[in-house]
Amino acid sequence: MLRYIVKRILIFIPTLIIITLLGFIISINAPGDPVERMVSSAQSGGELGTQNLSQLQDKLFWRKKLGLDLPVFYFSITSLSRPDTLFKIYDKSEREALDRLISKHGNWREIQHYYHAQNRLYNFLLAFSPDTNLVKAAEFNTVKENINLLKYETLALKSSYDEIVIDAKLKKIKTLLSQYPFLQKFKSEFNESEKAYNEIKASSTSWKNYIPRIAFYKTHNQYHRWLFGDGGHFSRGLLHLDFGTSYITKQPISDVIFTKIGWSLFFAMLSVLLAYLVSIPVGVKAAANRGSRFDRFSSIILFMLYSMPAFWLATLLLMTFANPDVLQWFPASGVKPATGYPEDAGIFEKIRLSLPYLILPAICYTYSSFAFLSRTMRVSMIETVGQDYIRTARAKGLPENKVIWKHAFRNSLLPIITVFANIFPAAIGGSVIIESIFTIPGMGYETFLAIQSNNYPMIIAVFTITGFLTLVGYLVSDILYALVDPRISYK
Amino acid sequence: MTQKAEKNIIENVPERNHFSFKRYAWAQFKKNKAAFYSFRILIFLVILAVIAPFIATDLPLYCKYKGVSMFPAFSFSNNCEVTNPESGEKENIQYDIAEWKKMDVENIIFAPVPYTPNKTDYDNANYVSPGGKQIFTDKDGNQVDMPSRFRHRLGTNKGGEDVLSGLINGTRVSLTIGILSMSIASALGLLLGAMAGYFGDRKLQTTRGAFWTFIVGTIFAWYYAFYLRSYSIADGFAESSFSMLGQLLLSLFIFSTILYLFYLIGKVVGKLPFLNSNVYIPVDSIISRCIEILISMPLLILIISVAAIAKEKSIINIMVIIGLTGWTPIARLTRAEFLRVSNLEYIHAAKSMGFKEFRIIFKHALPNAIAPALVAIAFGVASAILIESSLSFLGVGVPPSTVTWGSLLNSGREQYSAWWLVIFPGLAIFLTVTIYNLLGEGLRDALDPRLKR
Repeated sequence: MLRYIVKRILIFIPTLIIITLLGFIISINAPGDPVERMVSSAQSGGELGTQNLSQLQDKLFWRKKLGLDLPVFYFSITSLSRPDTLFKIYDKSEREALDRLISKHGNWREIQHYYHAQNRLYNFLLAFSPDTNLVKAAEFNTVKENINLLKYETLALKSSYDEIVIDAKLKKIKTLLSQYPFLQKFKSEFNESEKAYNEIKASSTSWKNYIPRIAFYKTHNQYHRWLFGDGGHFSRGLLHLDFGTSYITKQPISDVIFTKIGWSLFFAMLSVLLAYLVSIPVGVKAAANRGSRFDRFSSIILFMLYSMPAFWLATLLLMTFANPDVLQWFPASGVKPATGYPEDAGIFEKIRLSLPYLILPAICYTYSSFAFLSRTMRVSMIETVGQDYIRTARAKGLPENKVIWKHAFRNSLLPIITVFANIFPAAIGGSVIIESIFTIPGMGYETFLAIQSNNYPMIIAVFTITGFLTLVGYLVSDILYALVDPRISYK
Repeated sequence: MTQKAEKNIIENVPERNHFSFKRYAWAQFKKNKAAFYSFRILIFLVILAVIAPFIATDLPLYCKYKGVSMFPAFSFSNNCEVTNPESGEKENIQYDIAEWKKMDVENIIFAPVPYTPNKTDYDNANYVSPGGKQIFTDKDGNQVDMPSRFRHRLGTNKGGEDVLSGLINGTRVSLTIGILSMSIASALGLLLGAMAGYFGDRKLQTTRGAFWTFIVGTIFAWYYAFYLRSYSIADGFAESSFSMLGQLLLSLFIFSTILYLFYLIGKVVGKLPFLNSNVYIPVDSIISRCIEILISMPLLILIISVAAIAKEKSIINIMVIIGLTGWTPIARLTRAEFLRVSNLEYIHAAKSMGFKEFRIIFKHALPNAIAPALVAIAFGVASAILIESSLSFLGVGVPPSTVTWGSLLNSGREQYSAWWLVIFPGLAIFLTVTIYNLLGEGLRDALDPRLKR
């Protein structure tokens, strides 16, 4: 038995690695730049399309904190034309633009010159502030406007890769520069950029793209950091239960999970308990009196419940019992009064206040596992009742009650255990649908919100933990199998 | 006894003795009334889905206007030029913006549901109930009671879109989801399950050289087909689903060509010393591990997050994702059946006759191992439909322009007094899921001889 468990746990490890990898791949491919969003949401006061220096520094800080300044993985398959250091370019769209330029021209040296020239121009623009003594007050606005326009165009140039677009941008900046005398001082920087771009086109070595190459990055990469942390600077790593930082609230994900998991755990436990309490007697009774009216009736009801979509049932319940036009027995959303509990409320008072909020979600949580469990129980009971030893028990003259509950029941419990494995993952993943319909502040609703706002660290955390707990659930149910049924032994 | 009757008997005798499993299963299936009725309803739904564009459309099926006959619902072009016989003026009728219901026509036949799913009826916006007062603006601009022919039989939603028409269109969406995602899933599941069950861990043999050449070849093929072309594929995605398909097919072609080249090289390399020793490929272990990984993932969260990172929201994405993640039950059942079948005598006989492995798997073993997979496919369709409707109910991954049962139900959540938006779409989902579940149960009972009653 012990050997079996150890073996199973050893098999877990590659499975877990692949689950974390998959989660990681999804988060890497997520659209948009999280840092861009985090910083711009914090300082929406700046002018559109431009940035200032403090914003840039903020971005650098967050990139470092989220580990986005590292290469993605231990190694990458790339081409001969690509440098190992492309990941150091922070801005996602700029990086893509450069990568596309490489995949077209294949000469990184020239492209690098071009990139540096652009950066010099842009930084020069950022640092520039019009001297109020030299510029007349009336012209001040024109100067500011044009500098901003120039900044915007340069920024756009940095993230464009199409030949036509780049040419158009270059031309636009050129006319802008020649239009206003106060922009003359940027001319030399701009000419450098233009020259560098022409150089790229002139010395194209696109054949280098066709030769594959493997670049190694050692342990200094995002995946490694995500798993093991960076020594406690910003992240302690997945293995120390640090799931990263939420893109939206900037809180640690583990804090969010700890505050949210309570309700999901509560509902998962409650629903399993209720489902077992109701479904075992129903299943056994239906199987014991096979073909009776009770059996037929309960079979139809159970089948309908089984096929019933949870979101429809939830909507129907809300429409009927939480609707001022029909019956307003229960509140429509939340888990406690909108004003919160009174300060001096004891635990029983809190339960009494919360109870009306919990009934409808509990029904939705329970009914599907109830239907599934009863049906499974019935089928496995019917199978057991057909066995020879049951006939023997009956032939001995045992009362039917004793035959069913003492001889048959225990032997038909096996399939029921399978369901037990699903409790753990259900607690963390919650039920995304039910929790979002009833706005229960649990993991499921949190996951839904995370998906809607592209908060990937949260999604990946839920994804990884659920995968892990599913594996644990399978192990637990396997061990339970062996405990219940002495015929099963894992050797 | 007439000659004809005699002939009948002679023809029937071998028939009666001949036992065909297919016929037996069909007879068993027909005995199961619930499953058989579901089968009929399913056929009806399929027909409804196929002809949906002609049933629920605001284009008339036939129209005679100023002496010109038109078939707007069936026509590929979008306009028609009509010459007024009296004044000789030419009039251009654009089918999709013409107000057919108010036009002065000689003869017109509307579709049974004269509304297109996504089109707004401004007169009846803001949740008009099926039995309530519906307004119609006639030719002279007077607002009158809706003629019974044009009533919104199942009401409208907030935007004034016809619910019945949306439901009919939703039939199409959810049946396509079921069929397409399950075709992907069953192709994958049958193939992988068959391979795992048939080859096991110690049956597929190759030379060491060929094995490693193939592994290296996969990396090269991936590099040239997908890495180098990643921007072409990404641009194709951004452009249209058609060009995306073209780019993907091109990549797949490159991929398979390079793989084939390396396969040929591997044959040569496998003849060299040291590289010519035999190795077993643990097919079963690899595939079983893949299944284990997939079933331990939270599928709904996986599907939602993958659907959320797709740049362009499209129902096709969801179908593909459901298909790529939903093959595990099919593969498991097929694997188990293949484990049983591949040890039977007739397979050994086929092997001893020197048939190729490919032929034995697909021609001899598969037909005898497919029955449990069919059951899993039926249940899989039910769960695919359920997943799709949950996704569109949550509003994740499905473009807002696509009308599905889930999105209709979701629009009912904003206003519970609009009960028709909750009842009817939900009923449609429930009914379809029930049908597939019943079909699955019926198939299971019919295909499993041990359950003979």
